[in-house]
Amino acid sequence: MNVSMPATIENPEKKTQPDKDMTAAVVSVDNVCKSFGNMKVLDGVSLSISHGETLAVLGRSGTGKSVLLRLIIGLVNPDSGSISVNGNNFAGLALDQLGEIRKKMGFLFQQSALYDSLSIAENVAFPLEHHRSSMSKAEHDERVKQLLDEVGMNGDSTKMPSEISGGMKKRVGLARALALEPEILLLDEPTAGLDPISSDEIDDLVLKLQRERKMASIIVTHDLHSARKISNRIALLNKGKVVIEGSFDNLQQSEIAFVKEFLRLS
Amino acid sequence: MFPSSLVYSVISVMGPIITGLMVSGRVGAGIGAQLASMKVTEQIDAIEASAINPYRLLAATRILACILMMPLLTLAADASGLLAGWFAQTLVEPLSIHQFITSGFQGATFNAFLPPTFKTMAYGLIIGLVSCFEGMRTVGGAEGVGRAATNSVVLSSLFVILADVVLVKLILVFFT
Repeated sequence: MNVSMPATIENPEKKTQPDKDMTAAVVSVDNVCKSFGNMKVLDGVSLSISHGETLAVLGRSGTGKSVLLRLIIGLVNPDSGSISVNGNNFAGLALDQLGEIRKKMGFLFQQSALYDSLSIAENVAFPLEHHRSSMSKAEHDERVKQLLDEVGMNGDSTKMPSEISGGMKKRVGLARALALEPEILLLDEPTAGLDPISSDEIDDLVLKLQRERKMASIIVTHDLHSARKISNRIALLNKGKVVIEGSFDNLQQSEIAFVKEFLRLS
Repeated sequence: MFPSSLVYSVISVMGPIITGLMVSGRVGAGIGAQLASMKVTEQIDAIEASAINPYRLLAATRILACILMMPLLTLAADASGLLAGWFAQTLVEPLSIHQFITSGFQGATFNAFLPPTFKTMAYGLIIGLVSCFEGMRTVGGAEGVGRAATNSVVLSSLFVILADVVLVKLILVFFT
């Protein structure tokens, strides 16, 4: 069984604890079930995450990892159970009320979901134009430049999404997700479909942002290497349930057959 | 006799309904396909995730544009119809355009022409609503986009024809 990872991927800074008492859960998922037709995707999932913490959600394809993120940001409603963000329960909220909660969240989509009729800079400026209308055009431009600088994309700001690669799209998607300075960052497969070098660059970028901004992050991924590198805690999903939740060491020490198999094959 | 019949038929009947059907085909398909494409590539979800109401941003603006533009497009269609009518008339019996318009609009009142022109705002509402609904509820990738575009055209054309039947009757009752 090959579960040991190279020592170089351990990042000591991710272990840094938040510098103030922020142990209250910013995202709380309580006994959530979700089905699509006859297929039960999530079956009583409970998770929570605190300020400054990074949770990686791992699991096989189709186990509901992306659905979990979509539930957390309110794009999908749970069949049962509850989801709350900063103590606000999503149940029964109107779209505008939900919007106020979403302003505190950034979401990186699996396929980046960049607006294909807008340039890279316009994509990043989009949330600012709608929610920071008090800012002047010059301030918007400066903020967009700063965000694109952070993700290393400033040289391509006038390009269209169709003119850039998958890794670059992820970077722009990340810049857009960070535009409103969210407290919670949700990343759906940030390294999926990327070569190892681009994946590592994205991981480093996420780590850098976490260090600088102290956000709570939930990262859905298949990539155990990436999960170990950027998260404090890992939750492993199988058949719509959380099989195990804890540190990477907890996973390694687990005697659960699925966990052993997942680690062996990753 | 011919100019006045032509003016009446173009402005009261043919102009509005042909404009409605053309806009259903051209704009309805465009709105349906564009929104469907945004839906399947998660761009609409991205708008929602950015705390922006996608219905207000994408649907309301398109519906309003359809409502406002329909009467203007109808006037353009009316003008084209009348010009073509005058051209056909001059092939048979030479007539100046001034004479054609004077004789065509003789005895015409605003009541006869304004309601048919402004009823097209209802067509705009129908085309906008149907196309946005079809586009924003799309599922199923490229096939879904094609289906949304087709449904937008077919359903909005159908509803435009049905609305025309009702509105013509209402105009006859209230404005003549």
